[in-house]
Amino acid sequence: MQDDTEASQPRKRALGAELVIPVAALAFTIYYFYTILEAPWTAQASAFFIGTILIILSLVFIGLTFRWVAKGEGDWSFHTLFEPHEYVKLRLALFALTVGYIAVISFLGFTITTFLFLVLAMLLLNRGRRAKLCLSLSAILSVGGYLLFVVAFDTNFPEGPFEILMNGIL
Amino acid sequence: MEEVSFQMFAELFFHTLGFWWIIIPAMLLGLIVGAIPGFSAANTIIILLPLTFAMEVEQGVVFMVALYASSRMGAGIPAILVNIPGTAGAAATPLDGYPMARAGLGQQALAMSFVASTAGGLLTTIIALIAMPWLAQVAFFMHSVEMIVVMLFGISLIATIAAKNTLKGLIAGLFGLMIGAVGTDFVYETPRATFGFLELYDGIPLVPALVGLFAISEAFLVIEGESILTRRGKELMDNPSWKASIEGIRMSVKRWWHITWCSLIGLVIGVIPGAGASIASFVAYQQSRSYSKTPELYGTGHPEGLIAPEAANNGVTSGTLVPLMVIGLPGGATAAIMLVVLQFHGVNFGPQLFGERPEIGFGIFMAMAVTYLLMIFTILPLSRYMTKVTIVSTAFMAPVIISFTLVGSFVPREFGFDMALALGFGVLGYIARRTNYHVAAILIGIILGPLLEQFFLRAIRMANGDLTVLFSSRIGNGLWIALVVTIALPYVLDHLRARRRRRETA
Repeated sequence: MQDDTEASQPRKRALGAELVIPVAALAFTIYYFYTILEAPWTAQASAFFIGTILIILSLVFIGLTFRWVAKGEGDWSFHTLFEPHEYVKLRLALFALTVGYIAVISFLGFTITTFLFLVLAMLLLNRGRRAKLCLSLSAILSVGGYLLFVVAFDTNFPEGPFEILMNGIL
Repeated sequence: MEEVSFQMFAELFFHTLGFWWIIIPAMLLGLIVGAIPGFSAANTIIILLPLTFAMEVEQGVVFMVALYASSRMGAGIPAILVNIPGTAGAAATPLDGYPMARAGLGQQALAMSFVASTAGGLLTTIIALIAMPWLAQVAFFMHSVEMIVVMLFGISLIATIAAKNTLKGLIAGLFGLMIGAVGTDFVYETPRATFGFLELYDGIPLVPALVGLFAISEAFLVIEGESILTRRGKELMDNPSWKASIEGIRMSVKRWWHITWCSLIGLVIGVIPGAGASIASFVAYQQSRSYSKTPELYGTGHPEGLIAPEAANNGVTSGTLVPLMVIGLPGGATAAIMLVVLQFHGVNFGPQLFGERPEIGFGIFMAMAVTYLLMIFTILPLSRYMTKVTIVSTAFMAPVIISFTLVGSFVPREFGFDMALALGFGVLGYIARRTNYHVAAILIGIILGPLLEQFFLRAIRMANGDLTVLFSSRIGNGLWIALVVTIALPYVLDHLRARRRRRETA
């Protein structure tokens, strides 16, 4: 019964999460000011003008947050950033794969790295199912991307063994 | 200037139509490159420079113009279907386009966007063609002070766009302005807030910011559902038909006046060098909302919220060419590249161009008009079949979005750093979306930050540090008043509506 009542009540605002952007803005502005302290006025004028307003607004938001917490409208939690919980691990794994993609692409080039990333990410998001479809789609998209962008549009994508080999053949 | 007559325009029209074999492939290419973040019309023309140099001057002009005009329309497609604007000019399109797509009205939304783009583009091109000598005067009157007020118009939109929480909107927008001011200053080149990265000395590159804030953050969010569609949206998409496209066309034709004035906003802003499609689309969006009878529905899939930015950013296309042709001053990046190509072919800009070589002077606008006319035939098939993207499983869509947009952010500068930067903006965008800070507000800030600083410094330096220079011009003061009215008007209208409602219920 008690659980039902709790479930029917509107959830409190996750004010900890809502503070991330104003705090980041505040920290960045302070860092920005630090880098221009001894700069000529031309480098300072616009930044001091905008930065000061941003600091004031961020502090106002932080002040309001304390008031909302005191009034019981919200708490210091970060739950909105991590919901729904069953997707946290999946999202982190996808993030790790993306970091890997950026780190590896300068060595393996566009086609191979994109193929590997697409296969792994698609398998991850499909929870290991539809492996054949993931493999074939990844192959078509990475090779298709190479043909469209690099061969047809002559775009400079990161090069690796595949692109170097194809340059020799074409 | 050449005697302007109906007969001359008619002859020029049929002459330009004879270049259909160049216009159609360029148009299809433009639709594709416009739809891919990082592949702007400007980039594509640069890549294809050898081709345009090798062509006859008229053919080269027709090719570039067709590609330019269609890329604007193409940029709206991913903005509506997957919440990723193809270019910064389409950043206001997803505000109402994406909610429509999620509700299963993607086909309708695409048809509306295409009608607004083609009708807005065609109308403004015809106006530019006829009124070119007068429109060119706009560029002469826009000095630093006037430009500052135009920029502030853009910034005032930040709070309006995030009207549900103005404070959050302002924080996001100002944070964007600070991020946009990263890099060396314009006079002494002092590095500011670069975290020691040489890659940031030229400022924050726009494509990684756009890709991160919109595409990457969206990809990490959509994995929660099987597809981007809501339950109702899925039901609607299970029974696709031509009816939705025709309904979209009917709805936009019904709003012909809306298309007209929003595209005119785009045309006038396009004439001002440096202002660009991103500012025009947000100004049009805000103006549209200010005068709407249902402003509270903006951001939830309001048809006029979609029509306004699309009509405006296509109005900009012809506007940017006006100062280029009349005074040799390009209104944007693509116009600047066209200038290079035309100069290579020995074309001299200025009023004499229209007398000596009318096929180039007037022809450039006629080529644009013909492109927009031919684009009308793509509306039905494109809106009917491109909507299929929304039913693709997110398990396949998210990895494709991440990999291809990240590589897209690599393309403009060819720095691996830019891909990491896009991921960083992706994290910022994810947090912003989760906590109801508008990513579009951050993006406007990043776009306007360097521009505002540039004009601000120029005005102050020319006035020897005297801040009253900001109120020294008659046009500037007129714009200041217009700005105040624009900010105050929504509140006044809300107040009047509330009073009328109270009177009706009493």
